[in-house]
Amino acid sequence: MKKKVLSVLLAGVMAVSMFAGCGGNANGTTGSAGTESGSNVASEEGKKEVTLKTVSMFGGTDPNAEVYQAINDELMAQYDYITIEDNSQSSDEEWKAAVNADFSVGNEPDVIQFFTDATADTIVATDKLVSIEEIRAEYPEYAKDTLDSALSAAANTDGVERAVPTTGYWEGLFCNKDLFDQYNLELPTDWDSLVTAIETFKANGIIPIACSLNNVPHYWIEFLMLYSAGTEEFTQIPTTAPQGWTEGLSLFKTLRDMGAFPADTDTVDDAYTGQLFRDKKAAMQLDGSWYSGNITDTDNTVVIAFPGVPNQKAEANALIGGISSGFYITRKAWEDPDKRDAAVKFVMAHTSQAGVQRYWEATGAVSQAAVEVTPVDGATPFAESIAAYTSSASAIVAPTDARIGDAYKTLVAQIVKVSTGAITAEDAINEALATMK
Amino acid sequence: MLYKKKWPLFLFLVPGLLFLLVFLYIPFVENIRNSFFDMASVVKMPGQEFDFIGLDNYKRLFTDPDMKVAVINTLKMMVLTVVFEVGIAFVLAVMVSQVKKLQQLFRTVYFFPVVISATAIGLMFKLFYNYNGGMLNQILEYFGKEPVLWLGTDTAFAMICIPTLWSYIGFYFVILLTGLSDIPDDIYEAAAIDGCGKFMQVFYITLPSLKPVFFTSVTLAVTGALKVFDLPWVLAPNGAPQGLTHFLGTYMYQTAYGLNNYDYASTQALLIVVLGVLVSKGVGLLTKEVE
Repeated sequence: MKKKVLSVLLAGVMAVSMFAGCGGNANGTTGSAGTESGSNVASEEGKKEVTLKTVSMFGGTDPNAEVYQAINDELMAQYDYITIEDNSQSSDEEWKAAVNADFSVGNEPDVIQFFTDATADTIVATDKLVSIEEIRAEYPEYAKDTLDSALSAAANTDGVERAVPTTGYWEGLFCNKDLFDQYNLELPTDWDSLVTAIETFKANGIIPIACSLNNVPHYWIEFLMLYSAGTEEFTQIPTTAPQGWTEGLSLFKTLRDMGAFPADTDTVDDAYTGQLFRDKKAAMQLDGSWYSGNITDTDNTVVIAFPGVPNQKAEANALIGGISSGFYITRKAWEDPDKRDAAVKFVMAHTSQAGVQRYWEATGAVSQAAVEVTPVDGATPFAESIAAYTSSASAIVAPTDARIGDAYKTLVAQIVKVSTGAITAEDAINEALATMK
Repeated sequence: MLYKKKWPLFLFLVPGLLFLLVFLYIPFVENIRNSFFDMASVVKMPGQEFDFIGLDNYKRLFTDPDMKVAVINTLKMMVLTVVFEVGIAFVLAVMVSQVKKLQQLFRTVYFFPVVISATAIGLMFKLFYNYNGGMLNQILEYFGKEPVLWLGTDTAFAMICIPTLWSYIGFYFVILLTGLSDIPDDIYEAAAIDGCGKFMQVFYITLPSLKPVFFTSVTLAVTGALKVFDLPWVLAPNGAPQGLTHFLGTYMYQTAYGLNNYDYASTQALLIVVLGVLVSKGVGLLTKEVE
């Protein structure tokens, strides 16, 4: 009998252990012990307790994460019937796949901060995201601080405005000005001066351009194609390789042959090349506004417009940038009478003027804000150069991946081969475009 | 009959079976199905249908130049694992078995790399190989030599193989050493009395007696080579440089999560399974013949 009892007990333990770790996780901003929405427990204010499930890309070491967490805490303190179960993390391919999977099986969160470009097409197609127009019909104050231009920039690819953005981004050429001064070079303003700078730095043992072609050649892809093709051709969604795109990407080989990139550009990653730039071993780095937070030498680092390409078609000072993410309310929360109001309060707390100002300052007060922000005092030469750069932009154009989605990844994967001449730029673009669903 | 009633046995077997069914066999069948469809996303969204593309992905396997590189590199790795992992492990095991003092120390020292995560080893070797300020180039610079691009097109495959092979020698070393300890000392003593030297004893006693352990090690090494992923991925992601160091595992991962081409990655996954079955069957037949 003892043996039987032991057998059953062991089997039970084994069965239970299979499900260990499968339980829900309420990390980060979970406040007091939450109860599910719809429960009849009343708070002090007589409101039903609501648990909001939220997801954002403000995770990891992102400077926005701290602000996001603080706003969540303040919201829970202000409305004690709201509990936020947050599951934020930095965005990567696995995370995007997990978000898609959640939307697919009906496990989507109540509020999600996610991309607004072609990356969001899959979840937009599920019709589980509520439009701003629909929300404003009931909450006219919703997203009232957000600039119309920002809302329009954050519209999904079908033209419908669903997401409320906080800040946008720009991409530009970071330069170690002290290195330029050391070798009596002017900051590059066109292709010829860029070539002169590359040749001079190369001759003096300085890496001209910090870039990992195997990891993040994205910024160079964008600017070379934009400046070679011009805004109109650059922003089209072609079926075969446009001439301007081909000419732009062919410059990878020209630059590589000139020795513009690190000798180990085929194997190193973006973090490593970023360090080369910050250690003054490299003179220039094309990167985005998110890289600004890594710059410590704010007296000798400047951001300037992309210098240009031969036979340039884009106007000088054309800038890659825009707004590509925002807060969405899902239909699941919208159609739940208890959660609807809490979800609106949540999004408004993060996207109000005060909220966005905090996000903007946390990222160095250099990004494009979705609301009217109050300038901060004591701007560094670095921040001033960014302000000068972004304010003088002749055009702000969204990058290619916002339009061609996953095909862009195929293009990125071919850049090393394009730079070595193993395949032509035209073949690389055509191969990528062929993968478009 | 050890047990009269069988039901308790089933009670213990069913949870494990269910676990395998849910997390291995059902996904495997789903994986095969996926390889025949053009998957626009990793999961099927409500109302979404994937286009049936038949054998397109399988045809692509034969024309894809990166796939060719991955298969060749994996096959090379299989040969290298047998020669260097099992071979060096055997030499070390034989030598250590002759040592009476400090045998435990040698066992621990040689086995130690196995317990270090491949990612950590990969990162460590990455620091060795770095062109700018890497350990090897620092040594070269100290002697007034020019730095070397260790992960350049000519040397990258070898540079990736070195830590991959080195990190697993200890595993086969322990297996073979355990096998060696099972060989009775009487045989060696009798051979010694008959005038057989130590070196000849290895050929005429150790090797034949170790055959079953050897074959197990070879099977494990060859099938393990098919799964090589983490260390090459950390050292040279995306088959760097220029896609020359792809293995089946790294190329499948890049196809799935780098390029989001889930259906083609499913086809590659199936190829890995088929190759795994064929190779282990092949090794099995070969060893049967030898025996």
